[in-house]
Amino acid sequence: MKTGRNKLLLWLLFLVIALALPAAFYSSQYNMMLLTTVVMYGVLATAWNIIGGMAGQFDLAAGGYLGLGAFTAGTLLIRWDISPWLGMLAGGLVATGFAVLVGYPLFRFKVREVWYALSSAALVSVLRVVFLIWEQVGGPTERYLPFHKWSLYHLRFSSYIPFYYLMLLMLILALLINHRIRNTRLGYYLVALGDNEDAAEVLGVDARASKLKALMIYASIAGAVGAIYACLYGYIHPNFFSSSLSLEVSILGIVGGMGITYGPLLAAIILVSAREFLRANFGGQLEGLYLAIYAVVLILIALFRPQGIASILREVCARVTSRKEKDD
Amino acid sequence: MLVEPLLKVNGLTKRFGSLAAVNRVSFEIYQGEVLGLIGPNGAGKTTLFNTITGLYRPDGGSVFLKGENITRLYPYSICKRGMSRTFQVIQTFNNLTVEEAIRVGAYNRHAEKAVAEQVGRIIPFFDLEKIRKKKCEELGLALLKRVEIARAVATQPDLLLLDEAGAGLNAAEMSELMEMLGRLRREKKITLCVVEHVMKMVMGLCERIIVLDYGELIASGKPEEISSNQKVIEAYLGKRAAR
Amino acid sequence: MRALVQNVLNGTMMGCIYALITLGLSIIFGVMNIVNFAHGDFVMIAMYFSFWVGSWWKIDTVATPLVTFPLLFVFGLLTYYLVIDRTLRQKYVTQIAVTVGLMTLLRSVAQLIWKAQPRAIPYSLIRGNFVIAGYTIMLSRFVSALVSIAAILIIYLFLTRTWQGRAIRAASDDLDAASLMGINYKWTYALAFGLGSALTAVAGGLLMSFQQVDPTMGLRFGLLSFCILALAGLGSTLGLLISGVIVGIAESLAMGFWDPRAQSLVVYLIFVLVLWLRPRGLFGRK
Repeated sequence: MKTGRNKLLLWLLFLVIALALPAAFYSSQYNMMLLTTVVMYGVLATAWNIIGGMAGQFDLAAGGYLGLGAFTAGTLLIRWDISPWLGMLAGGLVATGFAVLVGYPLFRFKVREVWYALSSAALVSVLRVVFLIWEQVGGPTERYLPFHKWSLYHLRFSSYIPFYYLMLLMLILALLINHRIRNTRLGYYLVALGDNEDAAEVLGVDARASKLKALMIYASIAGAVGAIYACLYGYIHPNFFSSSLSLEVSILGIVGGMGITYGPLLAAIILVSAREFLRANFGGQLEGLYLAIYAVVLILIALFRPQGIASILREVCARVTSRKEKDD
Repeated sequence: MLVEPLLKVNGLTKRFGSLAAVNRVSFEIYQGEVLGLIGPNGAGKTTLFNTITGLYRPDGGSVFLKGENITRLYPYSICKRGMSRTFQVIQTFNNLTVEEAIRVGAYNRHAEKAVAEQVGRIIPFFDLEKIRKKKCEELGLALLKRVEIARAVATQPDLLLLDEAGAGLNAAEMSELMEMLGRLRREKKITLCVVEHVMKMVMGLCERIIVLDYGELIASGKPEEISSNQKVIEAYLGKRAAR
Repeated sequence: MRALVQNVLNGTMMGCIYALITLGLSIIFGVMNIVNFAHGDFVMIAMYFSFWVGSWWKIDTVATPLVTFPLLFVFGLLTYYLVIDRTLRQKYVTQIAVTVGLMTLLRSVAQLIWKAQPRAIPYSLIRGNFVIAGYTIMLSRFVSALVSIAAILIIYLFLTRTWQGRAIRAASDDLDAASLMGINYKWTYALAFGLGSALTAVAGGLLMSFQQVDPTMGLRFGLLSFCILALAGLGSTLGLLISGVIVGIAESLAMGFWDPRAQSLVVYLIFVLVLWLRPRGLFGRK
């Protein structure tokens, strides 16, 4: 079908541009950091889409899973010199384990979604305080990862560029996973659940199992990103369990468009760039400004365009192509 | 000749507070038959369905499907074991297309590779080819009911419970429905249990009928027997006279 | 031992005030099935309102609710009509999103405007303390607790004895039946939201008599009220009061015997445990 091929071409174009970007920005560390951050939020938001957009659970624990991944990988590296490549896997597993702990009791039959939202937010804060108090692994000061100038094994580089590509890889992975879920049983079950849970249940959909699967996939991605995050910053600290990061990720997920695979990525590109722009130009005085803007955007989208930014883009494209067809 | 019933309900009870909406109800459904479940409004028919299919937890009694105890199972487990149902108030998947809704049901017994085939079988059977890409929220009542039944049949049940499938349909749509149910029996070999108020449907379709009143089973037998049963007449007419 | 009892006493008094805050949340949740994520920040705003009204008009903070109650009521109504109403027909995720957005907006704007500088009143009518059996009771907390209990009682009577109140309870039980009986659900929702928000004004005025306010307070009161709501469940006002006291005591004990940092941790833990083990709450009906 024509649209299918067009879509594929667009994705390839995007990929090529994304791969080539560092060529334009490699000279500026700041810009590379910005790009890497944008992509990272893109990964997290795309993963969030699985639990938020498809399973319909407003998750506020992205920071929690990220932090767990970071601490797992970081501790493995610091104590036993285990490569963060393995740390990514381990981080993903630990995060997933926690996710199951939280999700299992809450996805019982007829427990309302709002409790999951509150519970996940609480989880992040609990983890933060726990790791602050837990001196052996965490503690109030930063724990620095061993320094290497350029080590593939230790995932330390003196430039952001390798991290950018690594995050890009994660992004592609997240997008592919998202796409695959959508077109298979889990995706159909999740969308059905989100639409009408009772009807879905009598059609054989195990609500709890489906939601748990979605949560586990999301948490494992966030955990893996956490491991990379730790290597990117070069240290681990309980502040990684960040409520504002969790909030941002969920806002990106919603604002982008919950049903659409590339929606959260689009939101990440737009909003995170805007945030950095604000931070660069207005500095510390207006620290909370970007969050206020995020909040306004969230409210506006929720009120007037719940299908998200991506749906606006879709409509614009549809109108443009139909006008082209008319001219032909 | 003793045949093992497809569904066996023993002394099932469901209470809401101190009110027993379903009170020690026992009956069987045999493979291949069409059982009618009738009774005045508020008799507890839908509650009975909900309790049998796992939406409600029973307070007493048991339910056996194909010899297996399904009393405390969740709805999805029961569906996996071969019992499916439709709802009195249609539960639509508003944002899904007809095709997608049926596919959800098809995943019950079919793996990824076979699902499309199953959908491909169900759609023509229910004559939904023309609207397969339409969103469910755009459909009218009769079509919605058809999609709801199609969804349930896609799960490939042995037993299908239909809760007032005929409500709100005009005469033509009703005949269509009856014909479709007949085909379900003959071609798909599905056993049916039908809750109905429309007597024409009940009498025309069902070989056996059970009657519920105030949560209790008051009569059971062939349509002719039921229509002349004293207790049944009182249950219906008695109410009307009281008004 | 003395320290234990002292802590329990303090915790009980604080718990009454917390219960009042949660009552507002509970009314909204019961009627509309919406947990207002911004509820804690409403308390923060109520406290700021009390601060200003008290400063400008030179009235004691405990009298400020006379002014701030209607203010917050209107604020609640506005929030309902402008923000909440439209989302009621949307997916549940969107409904949550809107109040999360509201919470974030209030908090970050507050931080922008007032930075991190806390505000406090110099003194109040109900300052000082008295001693009973060797235990020190701070007058401000004691009076606040009493007023809170009185307020909860008044609301309880309102909900059970007046027509409007019963309309609210009917709407939370069964919306369809209620609207069939002539109850305008939109107005009932708005009323519930306004009332729930306005109750924070009472708590805010009382809290200002012994606490200071800063933009991050929203987090603390939000957490407390969600926790108490989860613990109490829906349907029992007395249960709400009891749950408030339980959480107040737990918080107080944690501060006194474990670690000042653990104050919020204990509340979080109770919250998470309740959700995991008994999502219906201790006194919940549904």
